Amino acid sequence: MADAKAGAGNAIVGMGRGSYAMLLVFFLGPAVVIYTVFSIYPLLATIFNSLYLRQPDGAYIFNGLGNFQTLLTDTTWSAPFWNAFRNNCYFFLIHMLVQNPIGLALAAMLSLPRLRFRATYRTLIFMPTMLSVVIIGFTWQLILSPLWGISKMFLNAFGLGFLFAPWLGQESTALITVSLISVWQFVGIPMILIYTALLAIPEELIDAATVDGLNQFQAFIWVKLPLIFPTIGLVSVLTFVNNFNAFDLIYAMKGALAGPNFSADIMGTLFYRTFFGNQLQLGDLSMGSTIATMMFLIILIGIMCYLFLIQRRMQRYSF
Amino acid sequence: MSEVKIEKLCKSYGPVEVLKDIDLTVEDGSFVVLVGPSGCGKSTLLRSIAGLEPVNSGNMTIGGKQVNDLPPAQREIAMVFQSYALYPHMDVYNNMAFGLKFAKTPKAEIDARVNEAARILQLEPLLKRRPRELSGGQRQRVAIGRAIVRKPQVFLFDEPLSNLDAALRINTRVEIAKLHKMLKATIMYVTHDQVEAMTLADKIVVMNNGRVEQAGRPLELYYKPNNLFVAGFIGSPAMNFLPAQVKKGGTLALSDGQELKATLPSSCKTGDSVTLGFRPEHMTLGGTGNFALTGTVDIIERLGESGFAHVRLPSGQTIIAEVRGDPRTSSGQSAKLTFNAENLHIFNAEGRRLG
Ligand SMILES: Nc1ncnc2c1ncn2[C@@H]1O[C@H](COP(=O)(O)OP(=O)(O)OP(=O)(O)O)[C@@H](O)[C@H]1O
Ligand SMILES: [Mg+2]
Repeated sequence: MADAKAGAGNAIVGMGRGSYAMLLVFFLGPAVVIYTVFSIYPLLATIFNSLYLRQPDGAYIFNGLGNFQTLLTDTTWSAPFWNAFRNNCYFFLIHMLVQNPIGLALAAMLSLPRLRFRATYRTLIFMPTMLSVVIIGFTWQLILSPLWGISKMFLNAFGLGFLFAPWLGQESTALITVSLISVWQFVGIPMILIYTALLAIPEELIDAATVDGLNQFQAFIWVKLPLIFPTIGLVSVLTFVNNFNAFDLIYAMKGALAGPNFSADIMGTLFYRTFFGNQLQLGDLSMGSTIATMMFLIILIGIMCYLFLIQRRMQRYSF
Repeated sequence: MSEVKIEKLCKSYGPVEVLKDIDLTVEDGSFVVLVGPSGCGKSTLLRSIAGLEPVNSGNMTIGGKQVNDLPPAQREIAMVFQSYALYPHMDVYNNMAFGLKFAKTPKAEIDARVNEAARILQLEPLLKRRPRELSGGQRQRVAIGRAIVRKPQVFLFDEPLSNLDAALRINTRVEIAKLHKMLKATIMYVTHDQVEAMTLADKIVVMNNGRVEQAGRPLELYYKPNNLFVAGFIGSPAMNFLPAQVKKGGTLALSDGQELKATLPSSCKTGDSVTLGFRPEHMTLGGTGNFALTGTVDIIERLGESGFAHVRLPSGQTIIAEVRGDPRTSSGQSAKLTFNAENLHIFNAEGRRLG
């Protein structure tokens, strides 16, 4: 190993400037090109666009941070924006409070030593994650339909029919319902990530805890859980980024208007309507970009908080 | 009193019998070492005693109390694992205190016990460190400390030194021996290392295939192995074995026709097939002894103060003999190996010791 490294080092030292540059281009080039074209350029272009204002004649003039001011203070813009932001926060919170704890619990159960049919459970729970959002959305719409949905009949069969409501159609429940469907679909991801982390914990450690007087559950809480905090942190960040970028499930189930009365509207759908236009609303490149930039900033701030406040204090353990 | 008594212990994983009818007594305050080839069930036996593995049948008592159905924490045992199994997220102090805290031991008592263990093991300056900031030897000591603070009736060690380098292993071995003396503890200890077994043990238990082949004082096993397995397992290099036939007049005929005269145990009958065993260190190249074998030297491994001569007999079997110093004999030369009658082991056709 050391020799190979030293050898490579010598080869680079012995190289002419030109061929060293060639080497750089060869190894870094593809990544740089792909990132630039598909990530950096669109991001910069978006930020750039958000600084311009569309005139009634279709021309764009530089407007500084004016668009942001409009978005945050002018009620025609700020009301939907804050509504979408609030809904998005709920969407995220429901995932954090429901999806991740359930994922953790499932992972803990999957790693029980005496569990049978482990692989079957794992596959079944992970299955919805692999299905298209469109299929999931459509299926659940059918299931929950007040007209012919099986959920109503199912509840009726147990004499619980009075519990049924058109959950997707009520302002008060639409967002929660869509969120829970998303939770159901993606709970496999935290489960698999946490399960993998649990597998890496050596069994002797749990044996030691058993000798110290802990039962399986206590060993999980006091020994395993602290050791998988880094993974739980990672899962939380992934959830945050995915939720604030979410769009597809809401669009598939509730359309771009995310109704009823925008009660399920999140940043993604708001951006979509603004940027591409919808029904009577005309597409607005600059306001759309402004919303996209805000989404970028929100996620950026969230990740910075995580990196500086949480991850620094966290230790990764090698066994 | 913390005697460990195991009677008729059986354990299987599904159809695989791992422990078969184990009977074993570990006297109060004694140091018992379990040895045996890999996979013979040493760890399983230790884990069964600890309560980490359920057993199928049999009886286990620790300090006169039957523990079969007690959970590990109530068996008054402490276990030191091969990988140390320290809690990575706790400092040394908490690693040792964790079990006590769980047992709701008063804080002052915990403090006293941990500090006492830290003093014995010279861990005092390290109490605030995490396991990953410790060397292998220090981790080992923390693991032992975690066992000590429990004040157990019995210490169970599963290959505790196998992750240490050679020098540290010798050091720690001595430390463990001292610790045993000081704590007057009852210890069961699994190892692969013969030297560890011979030096530490009051009693060695040789296991093979889930059974106890022989249990006894180290030198007893060395000088009077009960059977071929123990004879071959204890000692390094292993004992030489040659098949022979008992002839009229009490001589032993080897398969290549060489004959040895010996005073045979009374249970030997003329015509019996037996196996002769003699240790490399009891044979000399040249020299005088009441027995002699001749063959050709294949190779001599020279280790400095001594060496091992591999000598091929006319029958094709190879015998290893220890040679002192730097013999002038070299490969290809013929050699005469001699040894004394009292060092000869005779085993019957079933592999059991005669006499
Ligand atoms: N969980 C298990 N399921 C099935 N068989 C097992 C299990 N654990 C151990 N065994 C078997 O039990 C036998 C004894 O294992 P054990 O770990 O006690 O051996 P050991 O003497 O400690 O070996 P080593 O010296 O290599 O540590 C082995 O043949 C092993 O294959
Ligand atoms: Mg073992």
